[in-house]
Amino acid sequence: MPRWLTFSLLTIVVWGAWGAVSKVASEGVDANTNQVFFTFGLLPLIAIVGRSPRNTGGGAGRRGGIGWAFLTGILGGTGNIAFFHALVMGGKASIVSPVTALFPLVTVILAVTLLHERVGTAQKIGLALALVAIYLLSM
Amino acid sequence: MSLLPAWLWFAAIALAFWGITGVTQKLATNRISSELSFIWFAYAMIAISATLAVFVPIHWHLRPLIFWAALAGGTLNGLGALTSFTALESGGKASVVISLISLYPLVTVAFAVTFLHERLTLAQALGVGLAIVAAILLSLEPKTPDAKP
Repeated sequence: MPRWLTFSLLTIVVWGAWGAVSKVASEGVDANTNQVFFTFGLLPLIAIVGRSPRNTGGGAGRRGGIGWAFLTGILGGTGNIAFFHALVMGGKASIVSPVTALFPLVTVILAVTLLHERVGTAQKIGLALALVAIYLLSM
Repeated sequence: MSLLPAWLWFAAIALAFWGITGVTQKLATNRISSELSFIWFAYAMIAISATLAVFVPIHWHLRPLIFWAALAGGTLNGLGALTSFTALESGGKASVVISLISLYPLVTVAFAVTFLHERLTLAQALGVGLAIVAAILLSLEPKTPDAKP
């Protein structure tokens, strides 16, 4: 099994558990408070990962890489808040979740156009099935 | 434009921003390690939360169960961010890795059924089957080598 696939599957498991835990948390806390306590949960990871010797590498592309990583956090966090607001403003969870879960579509369009990635036939079918599955699972 | 409900605009922002992060993650790991990418991703989250704490009311006194669930949510989500950065750093294409890891509701449904005693709808059961087939298809790499981004 390729390394990227192992870590992708690990991500599915960990984020899957996060989804279940979030359901419990969202029953007793508003969106903004949830985001703040969510960030406290990141602190132990920062303390551990911050010790990695691989944090010093990067060479000439280091500044650019840090910028893209920081932008990932800003976009991800703002996306979280927008999602919570959509729910608060009256969007039903059963509709908002499937709509926002289609975000890989944006990634694929950008990856093909900006990163010049190629997607095989099997993967194209897999992508279409994944979008349908995400929609159904979010209902 | 005003015909569209306000919540839909926010949902569209979430969709667009989360979709873009798939590419920005790849652009980060093309240049720096997954560990350093995670650290700066987390710093951005701290910046957002600090801004929230200054400008909007935060309810600091939570019931213990809610407190620990919110905290564990952050740790689990952060761990997933780290492993997704590592998947991309290990050569996984953004278009494939992001599509694959977006199937995480599959595991959420399993947890919800097992521990929260929720029931699976027919649509969700169909989604589980499709997700498994999709995951297998997405993990199949094209035979011809790709141009390096």
